[in-house]
Amino acid sequence: MEVDRADGRNPNQLRPLACSCSILHRAHGSASWSQGDTKVLAAVYGPKAGTKKNENPEKASIEVIWKPRTGQIGKPEKEYEIILKRTLQSICILTINPNTTTSVIIQVVHDDGALLPCAINAACAALVDAGIPMKHLAVAICCCSAESGYCILDPTKLEEQKMKGFAYLVFPNSILSVLPEGSSLVQGEPMEHGIITSVTHGAMSVDDYFHCLERGRAASAKLSDFLRRSLQSKLPGDLSKAE
Amino acid sequence: MCREDGSSEVQLGQTHIMGFVTGQLVQPYRDRPNEGTLSIFTEFSPMADPSFETGRPSESAVELGRIVDRGLRESRAVDTESLCVLAGKLVWAIRIDLHILDNGGNLVDAANIAALASLLTFRRPECSLGGEDDLEVIVHPPEEREPLPLIIHHLPIAVTFGFFSSESLLVIDPTHHEEAVMVGKMTATLNANGDVCAIQKPGGEGVLQSVIMQCLRLASRMASDITKKIKDAVETYNTERALRKIKRHPTSITLDGSVNLKEKLNEPSGHNVVNELSRKHLEKPRLASAENASSPGNNGEGESKSSNFGRSSRRDGATSNFVGGAASWDPYSRGVDSDFLKASLASRGTLTPKKKQQDPTGERKPNESKPEESPGDVIPTTSAMDVSETGVHKGGEKTLKDAVKPKHKRKKKAFSSTADAS
Repeated sequence: MEVDRADGRNPNQLRPLACSCSILHRAHGSASWSQGDTKVLAAVYGPKAGTKKNENPEKASIEVIWKPRTGQIGKPEKEYEIILKRTLQSICILTINPNTTTSVIIQVVHDDGALLPCAINAACAALVDAGIPMKHLAVAICCCSAESGYCILDPTKLEEQKMKGFAYLVFPNSILSVLPEGSSLVQGEPMEHGIITSVTHGAMSVDDYFHCLERGRAASAKLSDFLRRSLQSKLPGDLSKAE
Repeated sequence: MCREDGSSEVQLGQTHIMGFVTGQLVQPYRDRPNEGTLSIFTEFSPMADPSFETGRPSESAVELGRIVDRGLRESRAVDTESLCVLAGKLVWAIRIDLHILDNGGNLVDAANIAALASLLTFRRPECSLGGEDDLEVIVHPPEEREPLPLIIHHLPIAVTFGFFSSESLLVIDPTHHEEAVMVGKMTATLNANGDVCAIQKPGGEGVLQSVIMQCLRLASRMASDITKKIKDAVETYNTERALRKIKRHPTSITLDGSVNLKEKLNEPSGHNVVNELSRKHLEKPRLASAENASSPGNNGEGESKSSNFGRSSRRDGATSNFVGGAASWDPYSRGVDSDFLKASLASRGTLTPKKKQQDPTGERKPNESKPEESPGDVIPTTSAMDVSETGVHKGGEKTLKDAVKPKHKRKKKAFSSTADAS
């Protein structure tokens, strides 16, 4: 079923993406990610000695600070911080630098729908920019389902509000392998099909949810390509930077 | 991405600050029933500096907020009486949020510029009285009635100086390295009319009166320079904004036959042309003022070399930066533009965009060559410190170039600042 979106995209089309790295000078790693009008700036300060009280000192810990555009920090921001922290903890290799804290600071520049996925993508790019060891990258996407059962990707703020329910999904980056073994298989399925994080708002039926998952997975391939391209181009120049 | 009303991004050398202005209708203070309120919130984000912590604002954060606040409020730069809607009941409360993204030194000056630029571009919705007894206030959304700008009488610009232990050593616009070793500092807030709005010299080393007077003279020259830059950048933004409104006319007229001013921020239709225009506008005043800044610098010399360093680092980045990104190219809107420009109601920037649109290619070429010309100018006065900084810029620059569209204005900006200092 064809649906008319306000800005003329078809249901499976993402908004134009843009990613820039190393934009801040003091931060060890920084990245700005924008999807259409939603723009998020992420900065990473590399491993600092010591962990907070509740954290496990055997592992590195990640601390996330979320700064909204205006206004005080409230519960929604805290929730985002927790989700982001758990997501990043699952992709970073925590055993390399035990008893250290890596801080990730997210600044919302503009919010036009799909804010959390945008932030996750930005944080991932910033972690790469800082050189924090990771198992693989993560790509996040927002899918929402409407009353009639169709699913659209990457909604704008207006679309998000009109929809019955939406889900933020985070998938691992697809692996581009040099070795002939190809992508690693986990229990018979390619690794990209695993879900790292899923946050849903609103109500949707189980079928709708699985439908969203499939769409999201397909789109995540496009996103990981984009991420790989934008990060790869900075590699040669990276060696000249003294941090 | 379309830059919103009431937001600004300032890059002063390595210092990077964003400002956002929002307005809300509230009850006024009892002792000032006819005036609106202005409040400034400064966020020393841990993003800017590893030593910044979240939670309680540190001393320097509070001081920064107070300096900017004093400059705006006590000099009556913003007209608070015009913010009154219903005396004693409802007034506009303007809230300025300043986010420090990158601490390269001299946060006060940059924060001040960010606050001013965002105040100049902020538009508040128009309200009218209605209902029975004219006591109900109706807030008109931007689609119905054009939102109004704030009335700002003058622009107080803060200029910071750093003093060093040797008597006559004085630096304007200190970087964070200089801030770490300086023994005293002074911030003078003045406007382009030559009025001193505020002076803040918090302790530190004592300095001679003559030095203070010299600082004030320098500051007034800087102030007029910066005021011009801010005004130019705001003009560019207003032009772009007017263009955006005009572009929407063709689509809305064909659809429903009525003229609707829709604030369609999500519209992916081509703003590429406008971006290039606005980018060029920004390039020109930037480079022009780079040349201007060098001449007063040469005249007012008589101080030691370190003031030279400060000045050249200043020249690198002192502008307000407006990012106006486009999603995709829409050839249709370009064709219609010139027709509708003639037919549209007189809005501020109508004449200038028409002129520029007819000659975009011609303008592009001289601008491209300009970044190459200006380095020749700046080379003799550039210090070794700046060269190392540009090394970092260049490394970052390659990555930004490879970013997928939309091209951010920041990229162009970094490039020009690299070109300037190298």
